[in-house]
Amino acid sequence: MDDLLAEFIAETREMLEATGGELVAWEADPADRARLDAIFRFVHTVKGNCGFFDFPRLASLSHAAEDALADCRAGRREADQALVTGVLAIIDRIAAMVDAIEAGEQFPEGGDEALIAALEGGEALAAEDPRAGPEAPLHAPAAAQLGANEDAAAQPQRRADAQRTIRLPVELLDRVMSGVSDMVLARNDLAHRLRQAGNQPTIDGPFERLTTILSDVRDAITRMRMQRIETLFGALPRLVRDLSAELGKQVMVDLDGGDVELDREMIETIRDPLTHIIRNAIDHGIESPSARLGQGKREIGLLAIAARQSGNTISIVLADDGSGLDEERIAAKAVATGLVTAAERAAMPRDKILNLIFEPGLSTAETVSNVSGRGVGLDVVRQNLEKVGGSIKVASIPGEGTTFTLQIPLTLSIIAGLTVEVAGHRFAIPQSYVEEIVQGSARALDLTRIGETALVTFRGIRVPCLMLDEVLGLADDAAAKEPTLVMLRLASGDLFALAVEGIHNHGDLVVKPLAPAVMRSGLYAGSTLLDDGTPVLLLDVANIAAQHDLVSDTRARVLGPLAEDAGAAAESASRAMLFTDFARRRSAVRLELVQRIETAPVAAIDRSAARPRVVIDGLILPLVGLPEAPLTQPRVRLLRLSDGACELLYAVREVEDAVELTDTLTPVPEDPLAEAMTLIGGVPVTLIDAHALFARHGEPPQVAERPRCTLPDGEWARAILAPLVIAAGYDIAPPDEAGAATIGILFEDVYEVAETLGRPLPARVIRLRDQPDAPAGAQTIYRYDREGLLAALAAAARVPAGEAA
Amino acid sequence: MTEKLLIILQIAGRRCALSALDVRSVIETGAITPIPRSPAWIAGITALRSQALTVIDCRRAIGLSANSAGGEWPTDHRAAVITEGGHSYALLVDGIEDITTAAGEAGQVPGGFGAEWSRVALGMIETMAGPALLIDLPALLAGPEAHRTEIEAAA
Repeated sequence: MDDLLAEFIAETREMLEATGGELVAWEADPADRARLDAIFRFVHTVKGNCGFFDFPRLASLSHAAEDALADCRAGRREADQALVTGVLAIIDRIAAMVDAIEAGEQFPEGGDEALIAALEGGEALAAEDPRAGPEAPLHAPAAAQLGANEDAAAQPQRRADAQRTIRLPVELLDRVMSGVSDMVLARNDLAHRLRQAGNQPTIDGPFERLTTILSDVRDAITRMRMQRIETLFGALPRLVRDLSAELGKQVMVDLDGGDVELDREMIETIRDPLTHIIRNAIDHGIESPSARLGQGKREIGLLAIAARQSGNTISIVLADDGSGLDEERIAAKAVATGLVTAAERAAMPRDKILNLIFEPGLSTAETVSNVSGRGVGLDVVRQNLEKVGGSIKVASIPGEGTTFTLQIPLTLSIIAGLTVEVAGHRFAIPQSYVEEIVQGSARALDLTRIGETALVTFRGIRVPCLMLDEVLGLADDAAAKEPTLVMLRLASGDLFALAVEGIHNHGDLVVKPLAPAVMRSGLYAGSTLLDDGTPVLLLDVANIAAQHDLVSDTRARVLGPLAEDAGAAAESASRAMLFTDFARRRSAVRLELVQRIETAPVAAIDRSAARPRVVIDGLILPLVGLPEAPLTQPRVRLLRLSDGACELLYAVREVEDAVELTDTLTPVPEDPLAEAMTLIGGVPVTLIDAHALFARHGEPPQVAERPRCTLPDGEWARAILAPLVIAAGYDIAPPDEAGAATIGILFEDVYEVAETLGRPLPARVIRLRDQPDAPAGAQTIYRYDREGLLAALAAAARVPAGEAA
Repeated sequence: MTEKLLIILQIAGRRCALSALDVRSVIETGAITPIPRSPAWIAGITALRSQALTVIDCRRAIGLSANSAGGEWPTDHRAAVITEGGHSYALLVDGIEDITTAAGEAGQVPGGFGAEWSRVALGMIETMAGPALLIDLPALLAGPEAHRTEIEAAA
């Protein structure tokens, strides 16, 4: 919460500074509409932010100022000198309070009422000299500026106590960022040349060091700009809880996509819009529990918020299952305020009418409450988003709910991406969309063509499938027999499959904007450079889906979980994964056990122990189902089974499909590993007995342990030796944690001293010397002899701990 | 008169000029990654250090599809790098010839330069290497479609 508070203070102060000029200009000309709007936005934002914190006095002050200014905006009141003075006095008070909050002091009680009364009094007070009020800190244009300066001068001590931060222009960060990107590419180039030139110990050491430093710097720079949207989402459950309690409603919030990373600046920009929409949704959208029950809905309202990233855009979808927007009332209001004529209104589709709510001065709220505004919120929301090149739109179904979709651009982004190949071209897909990657024969995926549309069956659901080669116009007649499907989930919750020919790798991609002529194709969101410097295009997944009409405007996501609940209750038939094992038996295993289908190279299988094992994702897992004979194929398909605690892998010849176990299960007592025999599609299938399988083979996964080393003291060891040792696959252990299995690397002189003094020495030791030429019979290694060092490490790691001399 | 530096290029067999101030550098073109479903005059993207350049085939961008003999024009292994509207482009041309100074201001000739050329030309300019057509970069980068749209709008 401290972070949030610090940001609130920083933001308010920044806005105060920016508003300073507006204040003076407004005072000179109270009729200036643009100034009025700017000041109105300021008090409105302060009011909105107070919702996060418990600042009733700030809230009531800003609410009063907002009220008065809203009257001016609506033309109900003239912006006279008294009003200006009153508002300015309130803004001064807000500034003083924010200072007090930052310093953690109690702001002196009282005085607020007088300020608020000065505003409400209007003409009555204008007759008196408002400056004669005893309590109100009186405003004079210069005094505001002066006062602020004095304040700052009086509190240097206080400011220093706060967390040390500085604010920098974004362009500067951009320059540093692109400089670092250039450095990484220069490093790669240099690495390439060094490899060509052969082994040069004197250069390799510093070069390794450069590499480590560079990757550190890159990480730091990235963190400087990017922030998980979680930091924003984190505050929402509390906000929703407080608001719903205040309004006597029950609302459940469902957040998704918190790991999407966003420019810090952008997070600041969307904080207010998001808060506004949530307020509106709870205040006006979601009905009271009794009303909901009356309509046959669950009494708890659902507010789903999901974030997705696609190249240069983030989409945030906020969906509630409340009463929906009232088209007639919006239209009536729009006609009444002269926004549209009655004739225009008659010709407008529902969609257009709903989106009128983003026009200034339009609100359908009957009563003005402390919680949501008076419709000013949404025009400010749109303004703020458009200022950064974003957009917002709304869709709603009466009685079912409302969905707001925000699109926010990223000026510069680093995203996790997947590189895929099709027809010899490579493309990148943002990882955030990727739900799963499915490999298999067309038959197993049940790839069918219905008319022009391809469908695949994924977990029992028919999902539309786009062929990437067709989408890009690269299709050749020889269609790929074994497509790899990338299952993509859009921010709207829609799922579709993208068929590609192969998956290359994934990693962090620096996305750069594309030229407008290329963007016009609507297929690409940006470009990025692979590690080898080849440029690849980043696919605009959301847009491709939209071009193929795969995006539903309805709230698939909100309805999704409810429909699933119902589905789960109705479904009684259990499901199983059908496969052929290496004995060519058709077998099945209950689908709940299957975590994933892995593909591992045969080389990753360790058959040296009594029980074969495989290392997957850094975990050592037991492997069953292998044939006695050595495997002929280079890769093997493995079913990763889990009982919740233990995991094991089941090697299979071919994975067929997920099937329903509808036929009767006939027990087979003679086979201990079979639960039953059953018929699937008229063919007998052995159902694996999971109980027996885990009883026999299950074990908790072990983290594949890297051998540990201790290093000599000193800068050289830390900076030059350590990266080499780590790269060779060893962990560095602090000297006091060194166990019997730890390999000690020591300098010869240290070793000799220790030996002479009879100090304990590591069981396995590697001794380094400073001179390239070895004295006869020395068991030492020159410290820049890379091969020698690696060989010694490997040899030491092989010696079992007990036998080391 | 200030000396105005020009870069002399051959585009579709004609001598053209770019203001040297617009040209950031001349690079050896490396591998070009094609962009499926993009206009034909966009040859692809290529990398210049950490930057991605959009590669423009100037001949096609002007709206000329093939030379009179029906074959392809020769393409220089070098490309001129320019920046326009915040994006960087590499221009593929027949050849990059020379850097020279302008001997006057760009001017029109009676009868124009032909529809395609007129769209991308600021005018004819006299140089030390002889007369050349001074290219209007924004117009060139708008692509031949811009021209067609104009005609359709006029029709």
